[in-house]
Amino acid sequence: MEPEKTRKRRLLDFIRTWFNAHDLFGILSEDRYKSLKLRIILLDAVLSMIPLLIVVTISYFWFLQILKDDFRNQMKWEIENSKQSIEFFVDQKLSGLRFLTSAYSYEQLSDQETLAGIFSKFKQECGGLVDLGIITPDGIQRSYVGPYNLKGKDYTNQDWFHEVIVRSVYVSDVFMGYRKLPHFAIAVKKENPGKGTFWILRATIDMETLKKYPYSMNLRENDDAFIITYDGTLQTPSRSHGNVLEKYKLPFSLHAQATTIQNIIKPDGSPAIFGYAFIDDSPWILVTIIKSNPYLKIPKIFKNELFIITVLSIIFSIAVTFVLAQTVVNRIKKADRAREEAMANCEHASKMSTIGRLAAGVAHEINNPLAIINEKAGLMKDILETSGDLQKNRDKFISQINGIFDGVNRCRTITHRLLGFSRRMDISHDAFDFNDALKEVIGFIEKEILYRNITLNLNLTDSIPKIESDKGQLQQVILNIINNAIDAVEEGGLIEVSSGSKDINTVRVSIKDNGSGIPKDELKHIFEPFYSTKEKGKGTGLGLSISYGIMQKLGGSIHVDSEAGKGTTFTLEIPKKIGEG
Amino acid sequence: MTDNFEQELRFLQMRFIGKILAGFTHESKNYLAIIKESAGLIEDMIKLGKSGEAASNQYLEITHSIEEQIEKSTGLFKYLNRFSHRMDTQLSDFNCNEALEELIALVNRFANQKRIELAKDFQQDLPQIYGNPSMIQFLVFSFLEENIITLDQNSRIIIKTETANGSIMIRIIPEGNLIEVEREKEEFPYETYNTVLKQLGGALTRLKGALKFTFPLKVSDS
Amino acid sequence: MMSQTKILLVDDEVEFASALAERLQMRDYDVKTASNGLEAMALFHGSPPDIVILDLRIPGMDGLEILKNIKIFDPTIEVLILTGHGDVESVAEGMKSGAFEYIMKPIDIAELTSKIDMAMKKRISSRD
Repeated sequence: MEPEKTRKRRLLDFIRTWFNAHDLFGILSEDRYKSLKLRIILLDAVLSMIPLLIVVTISYFWFLQILKDDFRNQMKWEIENSKQSIEFFVDQKLSGLRFLTSAYSYEQLSDQETLAGIFSKFKQECGGLVDLGIITPDGIQRSYVGPYNLKGKDYTNQDWFHEVIVRSVYVSDVFMGYRKLPHFAIAVKKENPGKGTFWILRATIDMETLKKYPYSMNLRENDDAFIITYDGTLQTPSRSHGNVLEKYKLPFSLHAQATTIQNIIKPDGSPAIFGYAFIDDSPWILVTIIKSNPYLKIPKIFKNELFIITVLSIIFSIAVTFVLAQTVVNRIKKADRAREEAMANCEHASKMSTIGRLAAGVAHEINNPLAIINEKAGLMKDILETSGDLQKNRDKFISQINGIFDGVNRCRTITHRLLGFSRRMDISHDAFDFNDALKEVIGFIEKEILYRNITLNLNLTDSIPKIESDKGQLQQVILNIINNAIDAVEEGGLIEVSSGSKDINTVRVSIKDNGSGIPKDELKHIFEPFYSTKEKGKGTGLGLSISYGIMQKLGGSIHVDSEAGKGTTFTLEIPKKIGEG
Repeated sequence: MTDNFEQELRFLQMRFIGKILAGFTHESKNYLAIIKESAGLIEDMIKLGKSGEAASNQYLEITHSIEEQIEKSTGLFKYLNRFSHRMDTQLSDFNCNEALEELIALVNRFANQKRIELAKDFQQDLPQIYGNPSMIQFLVFSFLEENIITLDQNSRIIIKTETANGSIMIRIIPEGNLIEVEREKEEFPYETYNTVLKQLGGALTRLKGALKFTFPLKVSDS
Repeated sequence: MMSQTKILLVDDEVEFASALAERLQMRDYDVKTASNGLEAMALFHGSPPDIVILDLRIPGMDGLEILKNIKIFDPTIEVLILTGHGDVESVAEGMKSGAFEYIMKPIDIAELTSKIDMAMKKRISSRD
């Protein structure tokens, strides 16, 4: 039950550390570094992923658009290409006919035999030629070479006849012809120069040759290309939109004269791209319907690659962030440890220094009582040597002996302090009487106070119970403050030390002096390390900052109140039990 | 971990100082006790009405003894004074022999208890060095103490100083047999000291079970 | 016969001063004692001493001050300073301020008397 609770508690604390960054700079625990690391990684990873994702998404859609545009352009181009090829094809055929009309006379071409000879030769050059014939200005087929029986046929009522008279050229749409195969016809009008009369040369061409143009376009599965007339009749066979001469339902009315690409929805609901172009000098429209979305296939590949790259980038970025966070946090940890170490070293040095000075103080002080004992013994020796007998000056002797006893006692007291201090070198948690500890410290500096004629007032409340704390460290702090007070007051000054219970859990001691005081603007700096108002060479400026640190560690506090010229009061508060208050 | 190591070292150093001060206090107490007794004896003699030459002679002897004790005390406190002042600053110029002399004076009573002789073999013209004398006293003390504990009665420990290759070598050489010791507290923190020494270029070795250590100190330029 | 050397012993430790004074009296010196600076200076104006034995660490008035005042009063008066072990700084200061010699406490009486005599010799020669 217990371990589980603490585990949950620790987890909560750990998570809590994510949000309270700043109070972590107090106690340094492993958890703090872990949470710091995690926070750095998360923050960094998220921050770096957001632009990455934004860029990737934007690129994707932009790229898609480019592909779409590119594709449509290509489609347009292909349609254009095909349109021009068909136009060229038609023009070629018409040129052929026109050549014939210039090369040969009406009479020659009217002659059946001549026509037949021309036809066979022409057929070799012009693939797909099915028949050839001359038509009189009256619309009668004069001569004819071909599979049909058209000699003498009357075309006066036919639309094409009228059209060729007006336009001088005519291209027909596809019709079912010889052997039930689709054909189309072309005709040219030849004017007789000067005579004002004309005649018509007509040829029928097999649709096979026409067919190959839409087929030559780059089509994929599901795509289709074919030629239709203005009313939608298919002129070439289509893959999926009907056969020759069947009707194709136009999705919308076509009127643009330039090549046009448009998105449509097919009757079955699927989207497609519809491209068309009117073929000049012909009744035809070239239509392309693209259903396959090649431009979408590309993005799919692109998508895959993009996805892989993105994922790799993210992984890489997280990995780098992780390593970075690790490095940074480790550096911080190292720096923290180094700082801790430096502080500990400082405190150690300070402690050593304090003890050293106390011990030296003892060594100095002891000189006087030793000197007294020495003199007294010497005097006794001298007296005996001069006067000769023990009993003669017995009173004098007794008085000297008493003096020696006093001297010995004094020495004892002085060295006893040393013993008291040395005992506590390695114990840090002791129950002790606070006032006794205070008196001990005062004992250390008694001589100094006497020497400087300073008055010391003690107001020690008797009722303070024993407290549990680090006696040695506490005494060090108090000694530090009292030494400062001694330095602050002039000869004949006053120092007051008062102790009492602040509340049930805390003991309070205040050290007040009537010295020069500390100006307000210096007051906020005095606990800073290396801040010292003493002249260079005297004092390290570390005393109060170390004292401050010690009070923190003991769970207590230190305050200062001061006014320049009036004096200073330091107040220490110590919890009666370490860990509480 | 470096953390605990440094901490342990500081702790041991504090304990060393505690031991020195305690030992010193006890020794001075002894002197004081003798003085008190002597004074008391004279007092008794007078009160008992003793007189005559014999009494006077005894009296003179006793006062002389008191003066002797004072002299010894003075010497002791002089060492204490020097020792304490070294704790005031971490680094300073100092004479190694003097520092060791102090230490030996303060440690003698430990050795005397087992009648172990602490013999000084100091090179006379040892140059001054710049370093941490308190730390050196601490280290030397630790090794001396360990040797004192593990050596048999009436043994000898030589403390030798000499210059070697531009540094000063301190050697502690135990001479005598080893005895079995029951330790109530921890074992000698061999590793900790070894690490410190290694960092300073010294070495700690066991010589027939007892400790021998060499410790080079750079000579100061001043 | 030479008149007795007049000694003023200034030390706040009364027990010590009286015992030492007595011992010196037994050695034929004329010794007066003072336990602080004011007393000392008062005795000066009465009958000034030849030699002053002065403990530097006296409360109420800086020992060094007293030394300087003595030297101002009469530079031929020689001062021997008493000091505890390890009080190197104050000894150096004292010597700089004109002290003749110094003695460490606890005192070796023979050493003290020889230094007093040397100081006296100097005083006599500088007076003439």
